[in-house]
Amino acid sequence: MSAFPILSRFQFDCHVKVVEAEPAQTIDALAAVCAHHSIGLHVADQPGKILRIRPTTDADDAEPWPRDMTVAEAGLKQFECIDIYFTDSDAA
Amino acid sequence: MALLDRSDWYDIARDTNWTPGFVPREELFPSELSDPYDIPLAEWETFDEPYKVSYREYVKVQREKDSSAYSVKAALSRSKFHDGLDEGWASVLKLHYGAVALTEYQASQFQARMVRFGPSPSMRNMATYGMLDELRHSQLQLYFPHELLSRDRQYDWAHEAAHTKNWAILGGRHAMDDVMMCRDAITGAIMVSFAFETGLTNLQMVGLSTDAANMGDFTFSNMITSIQSDEARHAQLGSPAIEIMIKNGRKAEAQQAVDIAFWRMWRLFGITVGIPMDYYIPLEQRHLSFKEFMHEWIIRQYDRQVRDLGLETPWYWDLLKDDIENHHHCQQGGIWSWRPTVWWNPPGAVGPRERDWLEEKYPGWNDSYGTYWDVITDNLLNGREEKTHPECIPVICNMCQIPISNRPGPTWKARVVQHEHEGRRYNFCTEPCRWIFTTDPERYKHHESIVDRMYSGEINPPTLDNVLTYMGIGVVSEGGRDGHDYRWIDGFRAQAAE
Repeated sequence: MSAFPILSRFQFDCHVKVVEAEPAQTIDALAAVCAHHSIGLHVADQPGKILRIRPTTDADDAEPWPRDMTVAEAGLKQFECIDIYFTDSDAA
Repeated sequence: MALLDRSDWYDIARDTNWTPGFVPREELFPSELSDPYDIPLAEWETFDEPYKVSYREYVKVQREKDSSAYSVKAALSRSKFHDGLDEGWASVLKLHYGAVALTEYQASQFQARMVRFGPSPSMRNMATYGMLDELRHSQLQLYFPHELLSRDRQYDWAHEAAHTKNWAILGGRHAMDDVMMCRDAITGAIMVSFAFETGLTNLQMVGLSTDAANMGDFTFSNMITSIQSDEARHAQLGSPAIEIMIKNGRKAEAQQAVDIAFWRMWRLFGITVGIPMDYYIPLEQRHLSFKEFMHEWIIRQYDRQVRDLGLETPWYWDLLKDDIENHHHCQQGGIWSWRPTVWWNPPGAVGPRERDWLEEKYPGWNDSYGTYWDVITDNLLNGREEKTHPECIPVICNMCQIPISNRPGPTWKARVVQHEHEGRRYNFCTEPCRWIFTTDPERYKHHESIVDRMYSGEINPPTLDNVLTYMGIGVVSEGGRDGHDYRWIDGFRAQAAE
């Protein structure tokens, strides 16, 4: 399976962006790709914070995916919307 | 021999609802083009246009209007106005002409549908003038920018934009095809003449003409005034149609038509009017913020007109008020960031003084949109211009075709409203855009946004260069750059030096 587009809803960004996800990449790697398109362009960096990814829901309260899980294991599909958000630690 | 007064012959002369002898009436006026609501013909014959004019009077007045507009243009074409023109105002002109010139031609075709298929003889009579009005508007707005072509190729979008697949044009065309080109005469009259022209454009033109005069652009100001005087007349075709529908038990259908069309036009209006008012027009020449304009003319006056007609305030009114606080600020950021994709040169225009003004007009702007521009300003101040150009694209709404965006920063609100239909996932910017889709999925389900086209194989491979070429950039003219060559950050340099 090849790369496919997902919708990156990056915390504090004005725009929801189309970003390419690779099935074999980890959730952390996907977060880094999304960060590349938001941090330093439209969102200020927050050094020391960790980025997590969760499915987008109406209440913004979904559990984040494990950081070492792969995109394929998370079951992400084309044009699925995900939240990428800053956390104080990876305990959440 | 003395002429009769118009009032002595008008009613008889316009009554052309003859009984056809060779074909059935339903073949002459098929419901899908005329009246799909089965309202009796006798009811349509009560249609009473508020503004009456004879053809002789129409020709006389229009001749004078044209003569005035072209004379002012001819006189001022020798002036030096465009030599040192601020690129912010030039962007207003390029955006306006590209978005509007051939839309007026579409509007003429729509009026022609009312001329031929309107069930009321009064409607057909008045729409004849409307059809000629729109043709005149198209001619004016093709001819006036043509003389500017030798100065700047981007003015060619007045003629070319509608023939391209530029993302902004896809948005305009999707909306106009929906409300104007693919509707019956009655639904179209409600959507275009009432929701669009009475609700938004007639008022917008009054403001735009004032802005142009403030800028010293008397050619444009005079042309817009000339057009607006026509709009004020033919926009009155919608109200009688709504009154007859309500009287005949079709209030729900009239309400839905008004609500769909108003929201569709609002989403475009926020870009074509909101951004110029709050960003492109130089600070010294701004006479009103977009929010002040919207609250005075739309939230209060349009809403009152809707209720006076017997309809209800649109269900999404609170969402509209929120969108007035956000939509055009988001799109100013987006259009500036993806400036190579548009046919004008959008100025960032958020220096220290402009930010003070935005904060005064939109309390909280600095804490939200300010955070977005802080990052961009920092990049420019530190020589990282390349970091102001995103390497990806924003997702586009499957209804309005505008980038899905909302408030950034600590009070972050950006969100996609998704919807599944027959196995396809659709992305919408707001609940009203999703709602419009659900009112008639068959009508909308096949359309592909520019993002869909990148992944469906229509733009193949979907590289940046290919996408830009697909959109007409580098074909019609070069794409946009910062209209002020980043001079708006000089104020921050001065602050840092103090």
